[in-house]
Formats: sequence, C-alpha cells, structure tokens
Amino acid sequence: MAAEKVLLARVGKEDSRSLRGYVDDGGYKALRTVLTGGWTPEKLTDEVKRSGLRGRGGAGFPTGMKWGFVPKDTKGKPVYLLCNADESEPGTFKDRLIIEEDPHQLIEGIILSAYALRCRTAYIYIRGEFYLGARVLDDALEEARGEGFLGENILNSGYSLDLWVHRGAGAYICGEETGLIESLEGKRGQPRIKPPFPAVSGVFAAPTIVNNVETLACVVPIVNRGAEWFAKIGRNEKNTGPKLYCISGHVNRPGVYEAPMGLQMKDLIFGDDFARGMRDNRRVKAVIPGGASAAMLTADEIEDCPLDFDGLAAKKSMLGSAAIIVMNEDTCIVNAAQNLTKFFAHESCGQCTPCREGTPWLNKVVSRIEEGAGRAEDIELLERISNQMGNGMTICVFADAAIAPVLSSIGKFREEYLHHVREKRCLVGPGAAALVTA
Amino acid sequence: MSSAPKPGGDPKPPGAPPTAAESRPGGPPPPAPPPEKSTFTILFDGKPIEVPKDVNLIEAAKLAGIEIPHFCYHPRLTVVGQCRMCLVEVEGIPKIQAACTTPLKDGLSIKTTTEKVVQSRAANMEFLLINHPLDCPICDQAGECKLQDNSFGYGDQKSDFDERKRQYPGFDRTLIGPHVIADMTRCIQCTRCIRFCQEIAGTGELTFLDRGGRTLVWTHDGKPLANDWSACAADVCPVGALTTREFRFRRRVWDLQKTPSVCPGCNIGCNISIESKDSIVYRFLPRLNPEVNDYWLCDYGRFSSEKLNQREIDKATVREGDAPRTEIVPSAIVRIGAEIRRTIEGAGPSALFFLGSAHLSNEENFLLRKIADHLACGNRDAVVDRSRVRRMKSKTEWIEGDHFGANFAGAKDMGMSPSSGGYGLEDVLAGRATPEVIVVGDAAFAAIADDPERVAILRRARFLAVAGRTVNALTATADVVLPASSLAEREGTFTNVQGRVQRFERAFLPKPPVRAAWELFLLLADALGYGDRDWKPEDLRRMIQAEVEGYSEVTEAELEGGGLMRKGLFVSTGAI
Repeated sequence: MAAEKVLLARVGKEDSRSLRGYVDDGGYKALRTVLTGGWTPEKLTDEVKRSGLRGRGGAGFPTGMKWGFVPKDTKGKPVYLLCNADESEPGTFKDRLIIEEDPHQLIEGIILSAYALRCRTAYIYIRGEFYLGARVLDDALEEARGEGFLGENILNSGYSLDLWVHRGAGAYICGEETGLIESLEGKRGQPRIKPPFPAVSGVFAAPTIVNNVETLACVVPIVNRGAEWFAKIGRNEKNTGPKLYCISGHVNRPGVYEAPMGLQMKDLIFGDDFARGMRDNRRVKAVIPGGASAAMLTADEIEDCPLDFDGLAAKKSMLGSAAIIVMNEDTCIVNAAQNLTKFFAHESCGQCTPCREGTPWLNKVVSRIEEGAGRAEDIELLERISNQMGNGMTICVFADAAIAPVLSSIGKFREEYLHHVREKRCLVGPGAAALVTA
Repeated sequence: MSSAPKPGGDPKPPGAPPTAAESRPGGPPPPAPPPEKSTFTILFDGKPIEVPKDVNLIEAAKLAGIEIPHFCYHPRLTVVGQCRMCLVEVEGIPKIQAACTTPLKDGLSIKTTTEKVVQSRAANMEFLLINHPLDCPICDQAGECKLQDNSFGYGDQKSDFDERKRQYPGFDRTLIGPHVIADMTRCIQCTRCIRFCQEIAGTGELTFLDRGGRTLVWTHDGKPLANDWSACAADVCPVGALTTREFRFRRRVWDLQKTPSVCPGCNIGCNISIESKDSIVYRFLPRLNPEVNDYWLCDYGRFSSEKLNQREIDKATVREGDAPRTEIVPSAIVRIGAEIRRTIEGAGPSALFFLGSAHLSNEENFLLRKIADHLACGNRDAVVDRSRVRRMKSKTEWIEGDHFGANFAGAKDMGMSPSSGGYGLEDVLAGRATPEVIVVGDAAFAAIADDPERVAILRRARFLAVAGRTVNALTATADVVLPASSLAEREGTFTNVQGRVQRFERAFLPKPPVRAAWELFLLLADALGYGDRDWKPEDLRRMIQAEVEGYSEVTEAELEGGGLMRKGLFVSTGAI
C-alpha cells in the first residue's frame, strides 16, 4: 500500500533543513543536470508539460502550459517567478511542511523553474504567520548562495538568479495570485482585474508566473527521474504525480500524507498509513475535500471518491489545496457553516460590492439560524444572497469560494437547517436521524 | 461623419462595374489592402455603432444613447471595476461582465437589457443599500446622488436585509481636512476619492482602512485631506460620504439654478457652474472643460463663491466736501462726464487716467479703452493682484495661474495699456504723472485699494471716480462711487492664461440700482458723446472681433459651442 515518498522523502530526517543534508541525499543534482547538462529552458518546460504536472495551489492548472503564457518577446521587461507560499486556505498545511522541513527542495525547484522562464529575480511570498518558515527559508537561501546555487553565474553556467523571501501580513486574499502580486508590490492585497493576466503583466507590470510551493517542489523529481516516471504516478494521465494531502478534523491521526494523485478518500480517512479512521469510531457526517472553499460532501459521496482534480470535479466539488476536513456525526452543519462564513466575511478584501456586503450578510443569517432565531425563509434567503454573489459578479473567485460552503451545506443538509429553525437546537449525535423523522 | 468615405477606402460603391484600370489585360488587379479602420463597430443590444478605439465601454454606450449605471467608474480615474454596477452581458462570454473593464474590440456585442443584467444590477443595488443609512432627508447629496438615481433606475423596492446596519463610530460626520466632511456610514467604497487624491492631486491623502465589510475610507494616519483641490474628492463622491463644510445643509441641490460661468479666482479661468437661488450664490461646481479644468476646481476658486454675495456698495454716492451723498446712478455718471469735459477743456486729455482691471470682462475693459480713445487719451492701464502659483490639471497638462482675477490677459488684449506718449499706473504711483481725473473701472484689487499710501497718491487727482462692490480705502475717498455688479450678476468673456476666450453668463439680475460695469461705462460713454446706450455685450464683442488682434475668430457660436456653455445642457460635475 505504502507508495514511495517523493516530496516528503526527507521529512523527519535530523538534518533535513540543512544544505549539506540535502546534497548528501542527492539534492541540487537536478540543478546540475539542467544548468551544466545543456538543457535549454524550452527543454525543461517541455519536460514539465509532458509530466502532466498540474498546479497544487487549488485551481489545478497545467504548470507547463502556464509557463508557456509568458510572451516570447517581453519587450525588454524581466520575467518574474513568484512562489506562492501564502498557504492560508483553512485546513491546508502541506506547503508549510516542505518549507520548514525540506526548504532546499523548494529552492531547487524554484531555481529550475526560474531557469525555464528565463527569470532573473524570483520571490517567495510567504504568509506572515509562517515566521519559522520564513526564517528557515532565509537561512537556506543564505546557504544556497554560499554554495553557488543562487546568485551570479550559478554553477558556472552563466545563469544568474536572485531569490528573496517576502513576508505577507496575514490576509487570505493574498494567496490569490493577483492579490499576492499587489501585496508584493507593497500595496493593499486586492485582486486585480484580468486581463491582463500575470503572465503578460504581473508584478511591477512585467510578465509574472505564480506557482504554489508544492508545484515548484515537484519540478525537482521531474528533472531527476523524467516526465514519464512522473506521469505514470497517479490515477490517470490527467491527474499525475505524487500529491500531499492534509487531513484534519475528527480522525485518529490528522496530518500531511503523501500518496499518488487520486488516492481514495476512504483510504485517506481509514487507511493504516494515513488517518487511521474516525476518532472514537464515530460516523462520518460530512467532508470538505479541498479547503474551506470546496463544496462539502456527504458520507455517501465519499464512497469511491478519488482525491484528484477530476475525481472531485465529478462530485461538483474540488481538490483545491487537498485539505480534507472530516466532520463526524456530532458536528452541527449549521455551526460549521457559521464558522466558515465568519472566516470569509473576515477575509473579504472589500473592493467588490457583492462580496464586501454579501459575506457578512451570509454570516449574519447563518448565525441567526445557528443561534435559534432563524426563520424558515432564511434558508431561501441564504441561497438567494449566494446566487447574487457568485458567477462573475466580482473581480476574483473569492465570492464563489465564500458561497460554496453555504450552498453545499444547504443543498446536502437542508433538514439540519430546518431543524434549527423549528427546534432552535442542533441536529447532532447518533439519534439525530430519528429526531428528523419524529 | 459616418457617411463620409473612409480614408484609404474605395469610394466606388460595391457592385459597380470594373473601371478601365481594373479590367486591364494581364490578370486580376492586386487585392486592395483592407482599409485600416480608426473606429470599432460595437453592437449594443443588436444596434451597431461606430466608436473610437480608445474609449471605455461605458463611454461607448453613451455614444449609442445607452446608459450603463455605475459608481466607481470616472472618466479621468483609473478603472478599478469594483462597484460591480455596470454589469452587462458580452456575447461569447458565459459569465456576466463589468462593462468598465471589458476591453473594446471590433464586433463586440453587448447586451444591456437581458433579464440576467437586470437581475444582477438589482442584486448589486440591494448589496449597496443593506448597510447604507438611507438618510436621504438629511443628506446633502440627495438630488445629485448616484445611489439614489441608480436605485430608482435599477434597484428593487424592497430587501430582505433584517440585521443591524453597519456603523462607523468615530468615522462619521468628521471634518477630515479644511473643507471636507466624511461620513463613512454613507460610503459605498467606490474609491473615487482615493483615486482622485492619488492620480489627479498626486497627494494620496486618502486610503482604504481595514477590509471586507469593515472597509472604510480615511486619511493616512489621520493627517488632514488638505491638498489644493480637496473638495473635488467630495465632487467625485457619488454619495453623501464626502461633503463640503461650506455647502453642508445650506440648500437642497434641486433648488439651485445652474449658470455656466468662469471662475474669477485666477487667470486659469476654470469653467464653473454658479449654483444660486433667490439671488444668493450657494456654491461653485466645476463645469467640464477638458482643455482647461477638466472635471476639477481648486479649493481657493471654489470657495471664493461666497465673495459674490458681498454687497457693501449698493448705491451711487457723490462726495460734496467731506460728506458722500447718495445720488441716482445716471446723475452720478453725468457728474463724472462733466469733470472729464472740464479737464479736457483745461489741461487737455493727458490729465485723464483710465484704469481697467483683471476682474473686468473683455467687453468692459474694451469699452473703457474706447472711451479713452474717444477722448484722445492714451493714459490707461489695467491692474491685477499677483497671487501664489495655482495649478489646475486639464485633460492633458497642468496649467498654472498666478493672478487674482481672471482677465488680466484680456484687459491687456483690449488695450488697457498706456499708448505711446501716454502713461500707466506705475508712472502715476511713482509720481511721474499726476492726472487730474482718474476713472477706476473696478475697485476690488487689494494691492492698491487697501494700501493707504498708494490710495493717497491716487487721491492727489482732483477728481476720483470708482466703481465697486465692497468698501475699501479707495472707495472711501473717491468723489464718485458707482455700485457695480458681481460676476454672478453680469455676462461677458474672460481671456485666460492660455489665451482662451471664455464666456460667462448672468445667474441673476443685480438689485437696482446696482449695474454691471459695462452698463455703467456705457452710460459714461453716452455722457461723453460716444457709443450707443442700447449696446449689449454681444455688440461690444462684435466690435472686439473687428478691432482686436487675435479675436477675429472668436465667434458667438464658438463661445456657446462644444455643448459646454449652453444653458440647461452643460454638465456640472456634481453628479458625474
């Protein structure tokens, strides 16, 4: 069952953070292969394209294709690569593990990707709360510069790259790539209007590629072991490579697990190599499969549920950041929705009217229901507000993320909402089903 | 315009028989390159219209006669697409789109009346109003409020919002600069004011604080909103979140009569709308003129409006000995005429001195000069107070002015300078010339009229006649004082620092016996046997056109033209 670990191979080792330890484990070999082995940037991009690597940040966009959007002629402007380490989707903590435990893997991945993009300056935008991560990265960058893996004329190849860590100030929206770009420029973190897309005009009005930490880390094994090897891992050719899953909630062993893309949800929750089942043997009530902005799934829906981009899209949810949040039968769904809507109301940047006004309104109405002051028509109201916020009403997809937990929880657990309205209390516990029918 | 043949295009109608050149033997003619169009064809609800390539879709819709409702879009500020009010459907794109951020391209098909559009706009209005206090009855913006207008046009009558509305304790009804009062409970977070301060004023005092539903606009670190154009932030505010201290609670805006005029503050000559009621001026608003002040007006000019309500000299007075005696205006002017005649008979015309002013219109300065000419007097000049440099941004460039008064250039153009052999104001003040009779067309200049020493020098003249509105050392000592009207009470033209001749209209009639300076001068001309008492400013303009170099091409039509000046049609920017 246990597959070979690729991304987490070095996690847990004593000197996993140090450059020496990384090099001893074969680190920076890929960089040598590419820079001194005569690889052109095009060859590397092509290798990444053939690997089928899709962005690990949430949207699952093919990475090689994204790189290809940088115009051939940049009109003298530099190209920037930004590593999105603003891991702030609730339930997600996979990038943090790579950053804190194996920073050089990320750094090597960034240097390789930067080479593919002909980029001379790259930034790691790390969320402000990751203080330790920022420190670890700074130390690792210092080491890498000292060894000639970064800076002028890397490995005497003629290629030079500056790489800097930039700490955010604690805003979820700065994980959205144009919000991140604004923040990196020193402005308020507000998503930009697209077009122009970052690949054409991003940070400092120059072509910019934003990639997630895990995505960039994947470039190292792709170079070392080949695109074909990478593409063979995973459920099918559209969902390839090793994947980190973050599982949290009412399970016995929450944490970050690596598995080939397309791991069955059931295996992740109940497998011995993974979360080892539900705490106190309670039953599953609902699962959020891809972070707070992914639609909830019911216990029935997690049967035959491959955790990959297309497997979850087929269930009208999404893999997102692969943050699986498991809720047991003692969980009040309305309470969970209250928690989630509070998060989104707190994190909306406030520039677009529907999101700025809609997210707090959703939270107020859900709270009213949760607190026993709801009315039957409030459920339709929630649906109406949600439908007025999503689908292009706003500049970025934050509003669509904010309404997903509301619409999915109402859609799948409507009876719980109604129970709250009628009985002014939660519908939870083993006897809950009987209460509903009584 | 659209019927004119396009440049580079084939003027031959399609389907016409081939010309000799085309049917020449040796093969078909080379295909003509497709004509490079300078416009795009956009379909609005199926109706095609040609629009310039570089306009925003909202402006393009205006050209098609279609209003796309919006809040955050402003023609001179960067497009941010934040308010989400201008939603339209774009053919080929499944999701609804903000019009302001949709790039134009040839053949773009826009739908503005579909059910989806109607519903989305109504949804947006609901979101905007759930936390808005709806305190229109006590809000100054009511009547020129985009929230009211768009709510009326595109909103639903009711909402299911049943929670406490958002409050901003400490950020309501607060003076945030010398002129602007902020009330965040009314704010709709459109960021126009922030962008104005950032992009036009270049001072960036305002910013968003906090985020999400708690977002508010305030000054950085509580520093004052104190740039030279700060009240424009209130102009661009589509709601009553930013209002000016000076106009607050003074009048409902729908009571105000709007008159196109020109700011008297300096020689930039910003186009303004005088907003008045019952012969009282309540405010100036900028009036759109891309060549001069665009959508803007400086605080100094804007708040000089109150000066138009000052009226200290409301009758003619004639001094007999020490005591000024009230006289009817024609008699007072006859008295001036008699003194002038007496002087000419005695010392001759070189003992006369005529002083025009930067506050007088071209017509008035011109008439004064014609009177001097008629008397063969070359002693004339125009007075102006210098000010610090004031700056105004037109659509394309910064314009600088450094005068108090709008028309020094015009006064000079009209010939209010000493002719050869004549003398000017400096000569008089320096004692090089001692006129016996001085006629001051406008007493409202501080540099001399408030300076007792200089007034004493002018007072050396045997006879001193002035026209004015407010009392100062000069009017106090004059032999004849005539009551002259304010800017709001007369019409005419000013010539600004760019040499642009701009017309201002009369907002209301002066209260008798106050008269416009040109009427007073016309009476004087008549008393001296010159001119026609029936002349109107347009007659004087016709004479200026014929006689003054550079003014021959300034036609009445041009002064009215561009859609900028016509009463009832012009745009004052309060509601943009």
